Amino acid sequence: MATSVTLPRLGQGMESGTIVRWLKAEGDRVEKGEALYELDTEKVTQEVEADAGGVVLKILAGEGEEIEVGKPVAVIGEPGEDVPAEAAAPAVEPASDGHRAEPEAAPTAEPEPAVEARPSEPGGRIKASPLARRIARERGVDLAGVTGTGPDGRIVAEDVERAATAPTAPAAAPVLAAPVGEVEVEKLSPTRKTIARRLTEAWQIPVFQLGIDVDMSRATALRERLVERVPEGGTKPTLTDVLAKACAAALMRRPALNAHFEGEEVRRFPSADIGLAVAAPEGLVVPVLRACERRTVAEIAVSRADVVSRARSRQLRREDLEGGTFTISNLGMFGVDQFIAVLNPPQVAILAVGSVAERPLVVDGELVARPVMTATLTCDHRAVDGAPAAEFLEDLKAFLEEPGLML
Amino acid sequence: MAELSYREAVRDALSRAMREDDRVFVMGEDIAEMGGSMGVTQGMLAEFGPERVRNTPISEMAIVGTGIGAAMQGMRPVVEVMYEDFLTLAMEQIVNQAAKHRYMSGGQLTVPLTLRTQGGAGWSPGAQHAQQVEAWFVHVPGLKVVFASTPTDVRGLLWSAIYDDNPVVFFEHRTLYGIKEDVPDELEPIPIGRARVHRRGEDVTVVATGRLVHEALTAAEQAEQEGVSVEVVDPRTLQPLDEEAIVDSVKKTNRCVVAHEAVTRMGFGAEVAALVQHQAFDWLDAPIERVGSKFAPLPFAPIMEEWVVPHADDVLAAIRRTVQRDGN
Repeated sequence: MATSVTLPRLGQGMESGTIVRWLKAEGDRVEKGEALYELDTEKVTQEVEADAGGVVLKILAGEGEEIEVGKPVAVIGEPGEDVPAEAAAPAVEPASDGHRAEPEAAPTAEPEPAVEARPSEPGGRIKASPLARRIARERGVDLAGVTGTGPDGRIVAEDVERAATAPTAPAAAPVLAAPVGEVEVEKLSPTRKTIARRLTEAWQIPVFQLGIDVDMSRATALRERLVERVPEGGTKPTLTDVLAKACAAALMRRPALNAHFEGEEVRRFPSADIGLAVAAPEGLVVPVLRACERRTVAEIAVSRADVVSRARSRQLRREDLEGGTFTISNLGMFGVDQFIAVLNPPQVAILAVGSVAERPLVVDGELVARPVMTATLTCDHRAVDGAPAAEFLEDLKAFLEEPGLML
Repeated sequence: MAELSYREAVRDALSRAMREDDRVFVMGEDIAEMGGSMGVTQGMLAEFGPERVRNTPISEMAIVGTGIGAAMQGMRPVVEVMYEDFLTLAMEQIVNQAAKHRYMSGGQLTVPLTLRTQGGAGWSPGAQHAQQVEAWFVHVPGLKVVFASTPTDVRGLLWSAIYDDNPVVFFEHRTLYGIKEDVPDELEPIPIGRARVHRRGEDVTVVATGRLVHEALTAAEQAEQEGVSVEVVDPRTLQPLDEEAIVDSVKKTNRCVVAHEAVTRMGFGAEVAALVQHQAFDWLDAPIERVGSKFAPLPFAPIMEEWVVPHADDVLAAIRRTVQRDGN
């Protein structure tokens, strides 16, 4: 009996994916649970396992095609078995078929409620009130990703409204201007689409910015001493790692900044899980460094080096990207003096730091040259007011200028 | 303004109509010298005389049948059936005659009959003297059905019933006769088919009739203290039904409770629930809750009777179910 392999939903909010590479060809034998193809979702690239064993009878989705969740991508069966005609329909309609440009095929169409009966969902049909379903339909919320708080877990209107106002995962931070040149048309990758959508959402949030100049003499010296102590082949801490540690210490004192804004509530977190904006080949990603308040700069450096290298080689896992409570975006290595970062909702604050450069500074009435860094904090004004944000910056400045204060 | 009891308000509507219009008369068991078993027609014999305040033999079929005949002949009779339980004895007259003549005569005949009756539990009358059977009559095309819950409403609606050209079965509730409120000196007729919103609210709509309107208002007060804002809507006339008022309210609150003293099974609340699920389906955030008597004959024993019929706490429990969340 031939089995149709459909594109799975690998996380909430996932509506489509692009097959980067087939790991099996037609005619190859595959075991159930064996990697079948590499899938690029909006967040990460990962291997997807075959959900049936047998021989790959037919591959329905080509590499590079964007496939909707639930569409068949391949057929697995016994050697020589006929592929059922309906199972052999390609996952993506040929572009030349102009008749498909009907309203229901519009790319903005929300998933129909019927899709919710997918057998891949544990427990089958999702329990949701008619009102919740209508709101989900109108706002494009996928009920599969919504937690119901009604009786027996029924999704009620309030749950959908909460989900609609809380973007499901990181995004955000600055985008550098594209270089001027010939017009080159590039199709947006799923990651790029996610960045675009999330940044647009983030832009709706009322924000304010506060900037502060920090004398980095002692932070730089601290980093140099830490580097000296790194064993042969170990990871050398960077200023970013020191910055993450100082932010974590400041966040522990100012928990209002270590928070998510979730529509009806603000969630303050006990631990500083700091997202780091990283330029990956396909676009910006924000992997998370866990519990920075409890870890040494050297430990943070090891985690940071790991996620940055995996970000650059597109090997981040979904869990690397989830649950950040605060974000740092550092463009100092590019020589940027200062900039303003776009909020990374539902986080309520993001810190943009520029380069550390010798600048004139008045110290005890004397004009001296000191390594100075400008940090700019962007805050969600719905959750945070100016004073606590200023206090956070004051603490951060104190910790960087006198790292011993963090103790 | 004068303070009238529900009982006095019924009498006021009857008396005013009889003073103004010779076609109006009342007829029923013990309504003359005795003033009716509930005292509604007390004093009317003295004012209007035995021609217009007529005692009848103990035969509901005869009472209603005579009323139908008089109505077809151009009178505007108001007949009283002492307990709505006894409507069973006049079903042929009500269902097959009163409800049908206008239709079967192609409009040549009308039956402007008002059939007043009362019922309801709360005073231990037993299984044969306190049923709530209004839903039976909502099921019959050709009848209008009214169930008023306040002195003002009962007076204004009774007037409209008397002057309606169709037979109207007019339900009163035994335990409401004593409730009082200030009623305007001028009698304002209340149109049949228009609901009354007793209380505005945002979270839950309670559609209640008869005694349960008052129970719902009590429950709403309690719910308010729990932070749940309740809207109480009394349809007042069950046939025709003010669908728009009910649907509009539920579209606003997204939750609905229907409450009446009659048993829930096949009751008026089921009809309201069907209406709401159809016309406000996409606005519902919780299943529609029904409140009514348990499906049992009414017991004599007061403690048992109280257990069988619904009260404010039953309405409150239903309200809570509609706003329930896991874990609370």
